Amino acid sequence: MFQNFRLSMAWLHTWFGLVLGFVLMVVFFYGSLSVFDREIDRWAIPSSRFAPQPMPSFDTILAPAFQKMQPAKEAVALLEGRVNGPLPERFEVVNSWGAYTTHRDPVVSVFAGFKVPNAKDPDETVFAVHALDPRSGAVLPQGQLRIGSEFFYPLHYSLHLTWKDLGYWIVGFSALMMLAALVSGVVMHRKIFREFFTFRRHKTVQRGALDLHNLTGVVALPFHFFFAFTGLVIFAGIYFPVAHTQLHDLHELHERVEARETGLPHERAGVAAPMASVDKMVAQAQRRWEAKGMAGDVGFVNVTHVGDANAYVSVYRAGTDRVALTGEGIHFKATTGELLRKDPPRTAVDSVNEFLTGLHLQHFRHWMLRWLYVLGGLLGCVCIATGFLFFVEKRKQQHAKAGGQGARIVDALAVTTVTGMLIATMAMLVANRLLPESLADKGEWERTVFWSAWGVAMVHAFVRGGAVARAGMNPAWREQCWLVAAGAMTAVVSNALTTGDHLARTISTGYWPVAGVDLSLLATAVVSVLVARKLARRAEQSTASATSTPLPKGGALGASMKNAEASHG
Amino acid sequence: MTDTATTAPPVSAGAAGAGRRSARGLPWALLSRIGAAVLGGYAFCWGFIALAHSGLYALGMPFHDGEHLSAILGVLLYLVVFLWTFAARRTGVTWAVLLAGGGVMTGAAALIQRALLG
Repeated sequence: MFQNFRLSMAWLHTWFGLVLGFVLMVVFFYGSLSVFDREIDRWAIPSSRFAPQPMPSFDTILAPAFQKMQPAKEAVALLEGRVNGPLPERFEVVNSWGAYTTHRDPVVSVFAGFKVPNAKDPDETVFAVHALDPRSGAVLPQGQLRIGSEFFYPLHYSLHLTWKDLGYWIVGFSALMMLAALVSGVVMHRKIFREFFTFRRHKTVQRGALDLHNLTGVVALPFHFFFAFTGLVIFAGIYFPVAHTQLHDLHELHERVEARETGLPHERAGVAAPMASVDKMVAQAQRRWEAKGMAGDVGFVNVTHVGDANAYVSVYRAGTDRVALTGEGIHFKATTGELLRKDPPRTAVDSVNEFLTGLHLQHFRHWMLRWLYVLGGLLGCVCIATGFLFFVEKRKQQHAKAGGQGARIVDALAVTTVTGMLIATMAMLVANRLLPESLADKGEWERTVFWSAWGVAMVHAFVRGGAVARAGMNPAWREQCWLVAAGAMTAVVSNALTTGDHLARTISTGYWPVAGVDLSLLATAVVSVLVARKLARRAEQSTASATSTPLPKGGALGASMKNAEASHG
Repeated sequence: MTDTATTAPPVSAGAAGAGRRSARGLPWALLSRIGAAVLGGYAFCWGFIALAHSGLYALGMPFHDGEHLSAILGVLLYLVVFLWTFAARRTGVTWAVLLAGGGVMTGAAALIQRALLG
């Protein structure tokens, strides 16, 4: 059905790229923001604006907090239908307690996993997750949303579509199509090196968009391939849950063998027993790392089979200076503090896997690479957005003549996913600063504002899109750019007014997490204003030429563009 | 780039009816090809991952190493078979290869698991 290999790849690139490009735009943009998720958290929750802290004392800070934890209503609600009989009021049996922190975290993440009584799947676990102030042990207010790590970051990989993990599957398929688009894009453009140095900015929107699409696609190709690929590797267990379905029995066999070999109990003993001092075990682990010449902070502490005679404590070194998130695990018997096991050196396969996933998640310290990630992610956004523009520019003359609405719809969706997404983001940040801190469900309100603003931007993009159906330019691009700029400025000003942390203060005291967010917002505002003004000038020129000639300006150009396209292949 | 969806003619009738179009919208051949790439590709990669995982474990590789290695290779394989399905001349062949291959590998993985569980 396709005449040759290149045409099949071109079809794949155009149509899968178009349909899934809207998803990929969201994935790339919020992935870029997630690089600084902890810093955005600081901006959104002023009570967490203090310096990063080391892992706090388990015995005096973490243990009392863990004992009070219970899963949130929403997490329990997701168990509906997975349990025989009613859901319990309180979850009593604790499978695990864990605390994780990195060199960028003032607050420590604590999570408790509970056994679900009468669950259809005996391994069913429900989690409680909190952020905790390590200086006092106080849990951050429950209604407040850590916008960076609890909203933008999950949006990046799950679109917040939790039903049957649908969002993970959509993002996963889009990542696969990203890889396919990169390969098919290279196949389509045989003269890739010549095109790489081609940018005909002054010719037409269509040429400019295509050149920029090729430039950003090629210059960041290794980056884009790596991130789409490693993203799939990170969630491979969700996309291909072989070890938990078809090979479940083999997995069980392995776990029993492993428990025998490592001495770390696979099951609870069923006998309650108190815990010895975990702080002493942590101190011992740190002494052992130091003796190996790799002194470091604790990144992850985990207690398995909490409250049972078989309980054990695992202490992992933070990967601040490594690609792997954590490593060098040392395990102790929780009741006595006796050393059970030191993790052996990583195998080759494990090293590769940790490298691939660790480089994607970047919990290690490297600020320059962190900014390069943002740059790479934004280049991906430019690549996708210019792909949309090229699609529209190439077809809108033809569609206008035939009375088709295709170009108009794609253009309106492009406005929604480019400027509309920015408007939603700005609206959320402004709402975060203007809603009272005492509001019970503040985070829920912020989510509502985000989705509502995005919805309104979409309606606006469609309503104003009539011009595209007449081969013109959608004024929504320009209007939404002004809104983005206004939103970004409002966010910066309201942060200064509600917290007193204005730029003069945050820069002079070197509090970069908040200063960085404010400066990024200002940069966004400046770029948006420049784009809006440029688009306004272009709109004026095109009305001027439309009145002086019988054909709209694009009409004559369109014909010559057709020739250019034909030679382009 | 050529917009094949609107300008490329359906292949001549000689291509085993591959160019048959439904009255409106996407041609059936195209839907079948997309289905083969997405679903057939998934089944094939599932089989590969299950076979590689159980096989590597049987050969003595640690369980989670086998899991990670087969997943890493499986994801790359998905990309390859997806592109191959689009580039292949006949969709029927891709369906047959992907489903039969996936089925055989999944079955082989089940046999390896049974042997290991004893």
